[in-house]
Order: sequence, then C-alpha cells, then structure tokens
Amino acid sequence: MNTLGRILIVEDDPRDVELTLTALEEYNLANAVVVARDGQEALDYLYRRGQFHTRSDGNPAVMLLDLKLPKVDGLEVLKQVRSDEYLKMIPVVVLTSSHEEKDMMRSYKLGVNAYVVKPVDFHEFVNAVKELGVFWAVINEPPPGSVKKG
Amino acid sequence: MATWNLQAQMGSSRVLRYGYSLACVAIAMAVALVFRHYRFHELAPPFNLAIAVVTWYGGVGPSVMALVLSTACFDYFFSSPIHSFVISRGDLPAFFAFMVWAVLIASFAGVRRRIENDLSHARDHLQIELEHRKQQEGEILKLNQELISRAAELESSNKELESFAYSVSHDLRAPLRHVVGFSELLQKQAASLVDDKSRRYIKTILESSKRMGNLIDDLLSFSRIGRAETKKSLVNMEQLVKDVVSEIQRETRDREIAWKIDALPVCYGDRSMLMVVLTNLISNAVKFTRMRTRAEIEIGCAHRDNDDVEVFVRDNGAGFDMQYANKLFGVFQRLHRADEFEGTGIGLATVQRIIHRHGGEVRAEGAVDEGASFYFSLPKQQHPQVRAANTV
Repeated sequence: MNTLGRILIVEDDPRDVELTLTALEEYNLANAVVVARDGQEALDYLYRRGQFHTRSDGNPAVMLLDLKLPKVDGLEVLKQVRSDEYLKMIPVVVLTSSHEEKDMMRSYKLGVNAYVVKPVDFHEFVNAVKELGVFWAVINEPPPGSVKKG
Repeated sequence: MATWNLQAQMGSSRVLRYGYSLACVAIAMAVALVFRHYRFHELAPPFNLAIAVVTWYGGVGPSVMALVLSTACFDYFFSSPIHSFVISRGDLPAFFAFMVWAVLIASFAGVRRRIENDLSHARDHLQIELEHRKQQEGEILKLNQELISRAAELESSNKELESFAYSVSHDLRAPLRHVVGFSELLQKQAASLVDDKSRRYIKTILESSKRMGNLIDDLLSFSRIGRAETKKSLVNMEQLVKDVVSEIQRETRDREIAWKIDALPVCYGDRSMLMVVLTNLISNAVKFTRMRTRAEIEIGCAHRDNDDVEVFVRDNGAGFDMQYANKLFGVFQRLHRADEFEGTGIGLATVQRIIHRHGGEVRAEGAVDEGASFYFSLPKQQHPQVRAANTV
C-alpha cells in the first residue's frame, strides 16, 4: 500500500473546509489533513510556531492554498514558502474561486505547481479535490523531508 | 512710440492741428528772417520743412493751410518786390520752383502718412487677430484638457465598474458553491428519509443554483472580454468555423442537422475571441432549431468589399420578432421563456462586445418560426492603406 502524504489545507471559509474534507473522506484521505484558517496560521504550521510548535518534524506532501485569506493572503504565503530554503520544495496547489488571469499569472510567476479554480458544481468540486488529493498525497513522490502519515 | 502719441493727440483735436500748422509756419518764418539777417540766399527750406512736418503730423487740412500760408509769407516777405504779394518777373521761376517743391513735399509726406496709417491699421488688425487666435488657442487647450480629464475619469469609472462586476461575480461564487455542495450532501444523506415532494424541493434548489452558477460564469467571461487585451493576427475564418462546428457536433450526434459551410475569407482579429463569437452564434443556431426534425444551419459570407467582410450564421429555427431585434444584443435580454430555451442572455452581448472591439458591427434578421440570421463584420487586413501602397 502507498504511504499517504500529509495535506495542508489553507482555507478561511469553514464551509469550504467541510466540503473539501467531505470530498477527501470518500477516498479516505481526510485523516492526513491539517487545516490552517489563514495565511498566518499556515506559516505558523510550516515554521512550527505558535499552536504548532509541538508538531512533528517535516513538510506537508502538498499544500492546497486559497488566495483570498485574512491576515496574510495566499500569494504572500506562496512567496514566503518559495523564498525559504527549507520550504521551497513543498508542492503548492492554488485552489481558489478566482478565474482571473492576473491571479493566475502571479501564482505561476511565484512558482506554484498547479492552479485549480474551485468548480461551482459540487460533483466537479468533489472530483477536483479528490483527484488533487490522490495525485499529490498518493501518486506523486514528494520531495525528501515530507511527512508521511503513519 | 512718441510719434504715435503725438499723432493720437493731434488726431483728437482739429483746433490743435490747425494751431500746430500755424505755429510751424511762424517758426519757419522766424528762421527765414534769421537766415536773411545772416544773408543766406536759400530761404525756401525752412518753409518746405514746416509744410512737410505739418503734413506728417497734422493731416490734409493743416497741410493745405501751411502750404498757402508759407506761399503767402514767402511771397510777401522774401520775393521781390518785398512787402507785396506781387511777384516780379525775375523771381517768378524761383517762386514756382518753391511752389512745386512745397506741393511735392506735401504730397510725398501725405502719401507716406497714408501708407503709415494703412500699415498701422494692418498692424492693429494683425494684433487683434493674434489676440483672437491666442484666445481661441487657449480655449482649444482648455477644451483639450477637459477632454483628457473626462477620458481619464471615464477610464477610471470604467475600471471601477469592471472591478466591481468582477468582485461581485467572484464573491458570489463561494456562497453559491456552498448552497450547491450542501444541497447535494443533503440529497445524498436524506434521500431515504424524505418524501418525493421534499426530494423535488432539493432538486429545484440544485437546479436554480446551477443556473445562477452559469449566469455568474457568463457574466465573468463577459466582463473579462471587456478588460482583456486583443491579440490580433490573420485568422482563417473557414478553418475556425469548421473547428467550432466539429466541436459542437460532438454534442449533437442525436440530431439531424444539415450543415452548410461556404468559403470564408481570411480576417484580421483575435483568434480566441472570434472563436467565442462563432461558438456563441453556432450553438445558438443549434439550440433554437431543436424542435425541427431536420435543422438547417448555414455559415457564409454575406457581403465583402475591399476592407471589410460580413459573416453570417443562418438557421431555420424558432426565429424572433423583428420588433425586438434591438433587444437581442443587450445583457440579460432574452426573447424566449426559460422553459422553451435555456440560456443566460449574455451570449449575444458577448458577441457584440467582441465584434465592437474589432471595429465591426453586428445585426440580426429573423421572423417568428422562420429562422434567424446573425451577421457580424470584420476588417480583412490590419492596414488597408499599407496594402494599397504595396500594390502600387
């Protein structure tokens, strides 16, 4: 059996979190998930600060990042991750409502691995999240130093 | 400048001008008397000078007066026999010479004066013209500035509107996604617990939400077209039409549609935007011929001149009433009920927006139940004048 990579979801809307977790549950991927409610919390998790200072070592296998976030927004989180020697290899997938070319361009310029627009249709949304989860947490070989569930 | 002032003062009073004439002759007389005292033979020049000066500054009347006075004085005091207006035969030539000389000087001075006056008039006229021009220029400058600031205002309010439209559409998507998502979950979770009526309610919620999702997506893409830069190149319209039709045919395998694609020229435009235009028009044609057992859709070239080409998409479908033709291309304008033909009412508005951005026009012809024809025009080349220059 494949080992499961840890998924970090950065999402401020609890309803979106619930829908995402529901989608991941269908593939039994939900128990490898950590949720950060804003950009600050995401950075705290990655740097093991604040409420996350006791967490086990290692980077997530993938970070699903919303762009519109309170405190520190998604692009800023992405920028900080990409400019940090220990975090820059983390695969980052932007998962957002924004279909804007400007947001897309900036994300890719900052080195995002994938850009996914959240579909309005629930089935499409579930499929998108599931496929993302399966691909990044199971199929993809994460960079050395990523946490496996276990 | 002093001359102008003097002339202005002189011009203002007749008495002053004639007095001036008198004074000049008197001075000439005095000078001539002084000349004679020192036994100078030439006594005419002071009078000639006086006439010239009076003509110059005093005008015609005082000039004539100076001429007559000078002649009389010269005759009375300086030509023999002295102290008499009688002129001796011997002095006659000299006296005539003086007269002619005086008249010549007076007339030359008069002519010069007139020319000077004309010149000064012309100068004044020019000055007025210049000031007028300056004023006009100032006005044009002001208008230009106003225009520039208006354009800037318009641009910023346009941008504001676009970004408002964007954020509205964007922020509406999230709650909508939640409505759809949780309704789906409810449908799944409660399917066995609720009755048929409740199931239908849930289904309606889902359908309405999806419709709203489509509306928002269409609105977003409509607003995007307004903001996106056009990337223009030469586009093979015939190939583009064939691509769009073959894409649409994949979804219409269960229908009988007679396609007719005429020869189409190469146009100059943004390929992906023109693809949106053709996709909208052709899928409309497919949609509105749904009730025909055999649909006929024709795409062709209606009219072409040197610079423009007009493409049409014609169908034998539901058509429309021509009195509503002007409503066709408005945002959210629909001529059919939602239960007849689905749609958001943004497709043709998008078509119009794209074609206008290409400098073309859109129009439609149709009749109820007799099909519809949609026309759009496009430029054939980027710079017709460049091409014309090259062929010469």
